[in-house]
Amino acid sequence: MSFNKRNFDPVLFEVVQNGLASLVDEMALTVMRTAYSGVVKDAMDYSTAFCDREGRVIAQGLTIVLHLGSFPDAVASVMSKFKGRIYPGDMFIMNDPYGSGGIHLPDIYVIKPVFVSATSAVPGRSKGIGRARSVGVGTDHGLHLEGFAGVVAHHTDVGGLVPGSNSTDSVDVYQEGLRIPTLKLFEQGVPVQPIFEILEKNVRLPDKVLGDLRSQIAAAAIGERGYQAMAIRHGRLEMRRYTEELLDYTERLARAEIMRIPDGTYSFTDYIDADNIENGPVVIKATLTKQGEGILVDLGGSSMQVKAGINSPLPFSKAGVYGAIRLIMDPSIPNSAGYHRPIEVRAPLGTVVNPVLPAPCGARGITGFRVMDAVLGALAQAVPEKVPADGEGGNSLVTMGGYDADGRPFAFVDFVAGARGGRPGGDGPEGVPHPGANIASIPVEIAEAGNPVRIEEYGMVQDSGGAGKFRGALSQVRRVRCLAPEAVLQLRSDKRLHPPYGLAGGSSGSPSMNIFTTAGGDRTLRTMTQLPVRRNEMISHFLAGGGGWGDPLDRDPELVVEDIRNEKVSTAHARAAYGVVVESGTFKLKAGETQRLRSKMRKTGLQKQADTRQTVVKKTGARAARGTGQGT
Amino acid sequence: MPARLKPTYRVGADIGGTFTDLVMTGSDGRTWTKKVLSTPDDYSRAIVEGTVAMLRDAGVPGSAVSEIVHGTTVATNAILENHGAKTALITTKGFRDVLELRRLRVPELFSLFYVPPKPLVERRLRLEADERMSAEGGVLRQLDEKTVIAALERIAQDGAEAVAVCLLHSYRNPAHERRIGELVRKRLPDVFLSLSVDVLPEIREYERTSTTVVNAYIGPIVKRYLDSLSDGLRDARISGRLRVMQSNGGVMSAKSAAEKPAYIVESGPAAGVVGAHRAALAAGVQNIISFDMGGTTAKASLIEDGRRSWTTEYEVGAGIQLSSRLVKGRGHAVRLPVLDIAEVGAGGGSIVWIDRGGALKVGPQSAGAVPGPACYGLGGTEPTVTDANVVLGYINPEGLAGGAVKVNADLAHRAVESKIATPLGLDVQEAAYGVHTVANTNMIRALKAVSTYRGRDPRECALFAFGGNGPVHAAGLAQALGISKVIIPPSPGLFSAVGMLGAEPEHHFVQTVFARTGETTDTSVERDFAEVEARARRVMAAEGYLASRTKWRRQADLRYTGQAWELTVDASAPERGGLIGTLVELFHKEHQRTYGHHAPGEEVELVNIRVSATVSSAEGQVNSGMAKASTVTRKRILSSRKASFGRLHGLLDTHVIGRSGLNAKPVSGPLIIEEYDATTVVPPGCTACLDGQGNIVISLGAGG
Repeated sequence: MSFNKRNFDPVLFEVVQNGLASLVDEMALTVMRTAYSGVVKDAMDYSTAFCDREGRVIAQGLTIVLHLGSFPDAVASVMSKFKGRIYPGDMFIMNDPYGSGGIHLPDIYVIKPVFVSATSAVPGRSKGIGRARSVGVGTDHGLHLEGFAGVVAHHTDVGGLVPGSNSTDSVDVYQEGLRIPTLKLFEQGVPVQPIFEILEKNVRLPDKVLGDLRSQIAAAAIGERGYQAMAIRHGRLEMRRYTEELLDYTERLARAEIMRIPDGTYSFTDYIDADNIENGPVVIKATLTKQGEGILVDLGGSSMQVKAGINSPLPFSKAGVYGAIRLIMDPSIPNSAGYHRPIEVRAPLGTVVNPVLPAPCGARGITGFRVMDAVLGALAQAVPEKVPADGEGGNSLVTMGGYDADGRPFAFVDFVAGARGGRPGGDGPEGVPHPGANIASIPVEIAEAGNPVRIEEYGMVQDSGGAGKFRGALSQVRRVRCLAPEAVLQLRSDKRLHPPYGLAGGSSGSPSMNIFTTAGGDRTLRTMTQLPVRRNEMISHFLAGGGGWGDPLDRDPELVVEDIRNEKVSTAHARAAYGVVVESGTFKLKAGETQRLRSKMRKTGLQKQADTRQTVVKKTGARAARGTGQGT
Repeated sequence: MPARLKPTYRVGADIGGTFTDLVMTGSDGRTWTKKVLSTPDDYSRAIVEGTVAMLRDAGVPGSAVSEIVHGTTVATNAILENHGAKTALITTKGFRDVLELRRLRVPELFSLFYVPPKPLVERRLRLEADERMSAEGGVLRQLDEKTVIAALERIAQDGAEAVAVCLLHSYRNPAHERRIGELVRKRLPDVFLSLSVDVLPEIREYERTSTTVVNAYIGPIVKRYLDSLSDGLRDARISGRLRVMQSNGGVMSAKSAAEKPAYIVESGPAAGVVGAHRAALAAGVQNIISFDMGGTTAKASLIEDGRRSWTTEYEVGAGIQLSSRLVKGRGHAVRLPVLDIAEVGAGGGSIVWIDRGGALKVGPQSAGAVPGPACYGLGGTEPTVTDANVVLGYINPEGLAGGAVKVNADLAHRAVESKIATPLGLDVQEAAYGVHTVANTNMIRALKAVSTYRGRDPRECALFAFGGNGPVHAAGLAQALGISKVIIPPSPGLFSAVGMLGAEPEHHFVQTVFARTGETTDTSVERDFAEVEARARRVMAAEGYLASRTKWRRQADLRYTGQAWELTVDASAPERGGLIGTLVELFHKEHQRTYGHHAPGEEVELVNIRVSATVSSAEGQVNSGMAKASTVTRKRILSSRKASFGRLHGLLDTHVIGRSGLNAKPVSGPLIIEEYDATTVVPPGCTACLDGQGNIVISLGAGG
């Protein structure tokens, strides 16, 4: 585990490593500060990375896990298409999943090649801390391509069927909006105006899209400046040496972590309820073979690509696999591509995890989440102490878009997330999102100030966490009312037929639910759907609750009492699911009665899957009992 | 220097978890110091008693004290140790979980086991009022007072001491929030009330709620504390205005601090940074990492190119404050300006223990002032970092603070031996050195958080160390980080109290205006500024500041329409294009400078106007006075004792000297410099000398 290199300076190594990490963070901060859309500036659905001159990620901003493993493919598309034609001042753009390394059309990449002057090869200290003269960028000789600064951001709209461009109803990628192959957005410092103009004319919210694009351009420029400053301080070739070392170091740490997993083959099948066009569950299967210090993950056995827009392009599926395995490693391992090296991913062409043209993929996020979940399900068999019960399955997307009363276009893309499963040693925390997408919620006040919507409720749902020795997190409800004369509602949710599963004897969490309220009353909507809405109509989305971990009858009764006092668990649910009895009014534990009830429940085996479903969700109870993820 | 005019005196008082430090300077330039044990049952007692003792030493009457500037960790400790007031929250119906759900995003990207901190208000005390405002401030649903009354009954039953109120969109229309405030006053006149419109009238409900709740949670504790301090000072016939250090490096009146305690959460640490900043500039050093190690925590802050660093995205109670603005969610959001300080729970009083895996751990539990380290003989039996330092011979085996604190080396020895050395199968010296090293490893995280984690090379900074324990550990830390220069200011153990006397009264006033620059006029913006300035002048007068010594500054926050974040530009000197024209021009430039691009055609929005008032203070001479004050003796070598420097050097005979035993000529280590308030360790291979400001300068590395 040591470096054992001549002239190796461990302090400089740390300065370079952390300097790159803070550089990509600074890029991310620039995007957050200057972006225009709620998706980017409030929900923070974007990521930043820095790649070395071979396109290998050497630092990733602390943003979205499912974005991160996908940068290498985007940079590779630049390097292969523009081989020998990459100049200082260039900047590239792309979003096409078919041939350009994209992951779905709303995610637009901006990639800036970073050149460093040859004279900066001499290490020297400038005055001040971490400061450097700016590097003149031109076409002079003596400038070397040293890396790529990349920013991917989820754009509010790129055209296509519905505002927000994340329709699950599109049947091919042509319905999903504007496809951008890998192109130069700037040519030696000069903007390629036609691209900006085509973008402007093909999206519903050009102000937001172009504003967000400017923030990406700014962040990429910050990445370039920062790397150049480091190269001047530490030396261009020293930077190469230490970033190479960073990749090796990351790989060594990753291999050591993998070594600790017992050798063997572990398989898990997870499901997406339905795709809204073809019925029946979409199967995501992961077979993980661990041998020595390497892992092979085969996604074979997953469904063939589907008609609806949930197909996950290969870079995205790979990112899901890398991300899931990374989750059982020491969190302090650097975010460099070095940790991908011991992991091989196979995904048969033409499946939902490696689709071919023209498969639509606007709502592929759900499939990326499920790839992670399937790999985690397999890992739970290998390292049970490291994997919690299933969570909410990734954020739901509730998008409302159209034109407000003054005819101005809007697209409100709302994120509902955060119900993790119980885990060995503790309850699933509420409000902590799926590890695949560490998104933020959009503040209610910001949502209402910028869109013709009103959020009528945002909170937790009692009794919705899967029962267990360690309880799953409560689910959440978010009610969004439309204030525009009319709009299109697009829902991307899941986990109703296959609610988050429990582990080690824990129960499932409550299933998700969508209730649509109109003047005529309430009705249930499918997990994925789109429909027109009118003023004052309201969508209530209930997230799935986290699965429980361990036998609920083993839960410390005082913890159940605490949950009752905090109105997270009702007295009825406490009795039925946990065998805990309390005094009415004071909620004091009736220890004797609890003990008797629990032993009776244990003996008669009457303890059944706890009914964790919330009242409004009960309508689907019969179906919900059916599916949980099955180890195979 | 005989003073012809009757001199007046200013007192700086810094409370730490273990010690209370006092510094007094006279208008005649003389300085006194005092270090006493903190009194956790009522922290103010130590200040009053210490000040009385110091006045007696100086022969100065209490009536000659013009000002007492105070920094306190009372607020932060209440949060860190979960013993703030029992707090209730009243919020808009349907939104009581905003506080617990936070903004979702967590600080650990790759963790399946991350758990956010418990909310400061339990779910059962988060109550809802039926009402609703729109984003424009219109009343969508009238406040149903019955729901408020019901909530107040529940709060009364549960016995909450503090009530926070934060309603949706109250920053736009505070009517319902104010009305609830009245109802709370009526029904529960004794609770500490905190309205979000008074604390932070700013959009974003989680951040506003959290800041308001933090204010409420610490309110009763801070208020009780400041009241008791004021009473104590009055009873002791010590006059002078009581002012409190703010987290932003300025000071405010005790009255303001009691109403808005959220402004003083980083009160103590801020004072140290302010002092370090002043002292470094005086010594001609532009780049330092200030390092403040007390009894409970260690803190670091970066001063770069002679400037302090700030953040408005602070979280209190976050354990280690790595203060990356993207890594959020570890603590409770307090969206107020704060000096950017990284902190870890490692201090002299940190308890040393062995975890289940057999690893040696230091902190975060602290023995505090009571019972304190085992060696204090106050009943503590758990070994602490200080006990290890006594065993190693770094700390005087008989007493600290001129004998005010007795040290019993045997007790230290016994605690380290029985709890650490024996279980680990080490000899006592080895075990103690292990403790010292593990403590250093913890503290290095704070130093790195403000340097390497941001791509700054600590080797280009001097380590400016203070706090009761900073000088014991500083050279070892510098060695580990490759820092070649350590600066220990005079009175290092009381340095935060010194810093307080250097801080300037500073007040910020902000008003959200929300105007498109194309649609508003210079006259209208001028009028807004004039209104804020009138309000500001009233506050400054009430705080007792002379208008003639107050410096005013106007600023404005602008953004491109559609952006969520503003940039602040100076609004004091409008150019020929008029006020708005100047602001827009400056904004484009600032946007270009900060983000590398600007959009000349885009519409620019004016969001906030800001007025700040600072009062210039005349205390430039604190340092040189201090140098004399901290001189313990003129004898060069006070004594000699065995000190242990790890496997490499082992146990060495080490000279013990006072600061006055040093001069400009470097002396080689090993060396221990004992002063009234701190002990500086100069390891073998390093040299120490005194600079023109009375600072000890330790040089490390080659040739040392």
